[in-house]
Amino acid sequence: MPVINLPNVRMHVQELNPEGQETIIMVHGMFSNLAVYYFNIAPMLAKHFRVVLFDMKGHGMSEKVQTGYDLTSMTNDLRDLMDTLGIDKAHLAGYSYGGLVALKMATRFPERVGKLAIIEGPDPSEQEVLAIIDTYSKEFLIHYIENFADTTRLLAGKRQLEKNHRMYEFLFNETSIRSDMEGEKNFFNDPSVATIQHETLLIYGEESNCVPSGRTLASRIPNATLVLAPGDHNVPVQQPEVVGKELEKFLEPASLPVG
Amino acid sequence: MDQLIQENKLSKEEIFETLNQFITEVIGEEFVEEMDITPASSFTKDLEMDSIEIVAFSEKVKNHFGPNIDFTGWLSNMDLDEIIQLKLENIINYIQECQ
Repeated sequence: MPVINLPNVRMHVQELNPEGQETIIMVHGMFSNLAVYYFNIAPMLAKHFRVVLFDMKGHGMSEKVQTGYDLTSMTNDLRDLMDTLGIDKAHLAGYSYGGLVALKMATRFPERVGKLAIIEGPDPSEQEVLAIIDTYSKEFLIHYIENFADTTRLLAGKRQLEKNHRMYEFLFNETSIRSDMEGEKNFFNDPSVATIQHETLLIYGEESNCVPSGRTLASRIPNATLVLAPGDHNVPVQQPEVVGKELEKFLEPASLPVG
Repeated sequence: MDQLIQENKLSKEEIFETLNQFITEVIGEEFVEEMDITPASSFTKDLEMDSIEIVAFSEKVKNHFGPNIDFTGWLSNMDLDEIIQLKLENIINYIQECQ
């Protein structure tokens, strides 16, 4: 399993089509992992691009660390990952909190970012955001209960519930994740967001509570287009085909082979 | 000639043994002991594997069986329901076909 050593964290990374000319790096959201892209969206994009997926610190198979979940530390990790893999410039796609990481990257290291795709990036000043995340985690657990409740192997069913429970317990009680996210409350109002020059695609689920966040970004980022897809905050899981096609369409023109 | 090809081809039992080993590595021996893993076991229902564990499992399959087996590509053609229904024997058959 490719787990690589970065200066601050041991990170689980997966690459598809490493020979691709241009690279897209995909950032997952809080309490999720790279699997959100791995099975559908990433293979679609890997037809044209080198696709790099990674688990954020404390998530998936990356190292469990106690601090550094703020956007500056997260973008330091991403910059370190690019340095380590020898990637000067890449397109970025980020989902939910990962979308904020991608935006922050564009403000801090604009020369290293090609195009920018933000999927369901929530405005962290909205009181509701943490509530959305809480709902999201409950849905996450309910998903498992619904899928496994009819099995007689209750012992095995407990394994997934306990595994998820352990992840939330760890992140909420043993790390700075909550206060780090709180500290990013004013991120959308940061003047640097309005200076983003990158071509930007904003994909939001039409039923999502985050649509107003998408509209805010669309009004602040000069070169942004907002697309609404059928679904809610979980749109990459609900409509991976739609999201994958939107990303393909958005990224492809520059990457069509010449001649 | 025929003999040589026969030797290179793994039987269903051999593939099953290898996959069984990978599952044990991914979810841990203590849990596997309590399960009865058979070719009819489904990944999500019987083995209770979540998506990141299936990622770890597919990486092991890719590394072991080589580039002829585009396991991720094969999975990416399935929708969520099909992945939920996926049984060990489907993967055994797929690997055998690719050999």
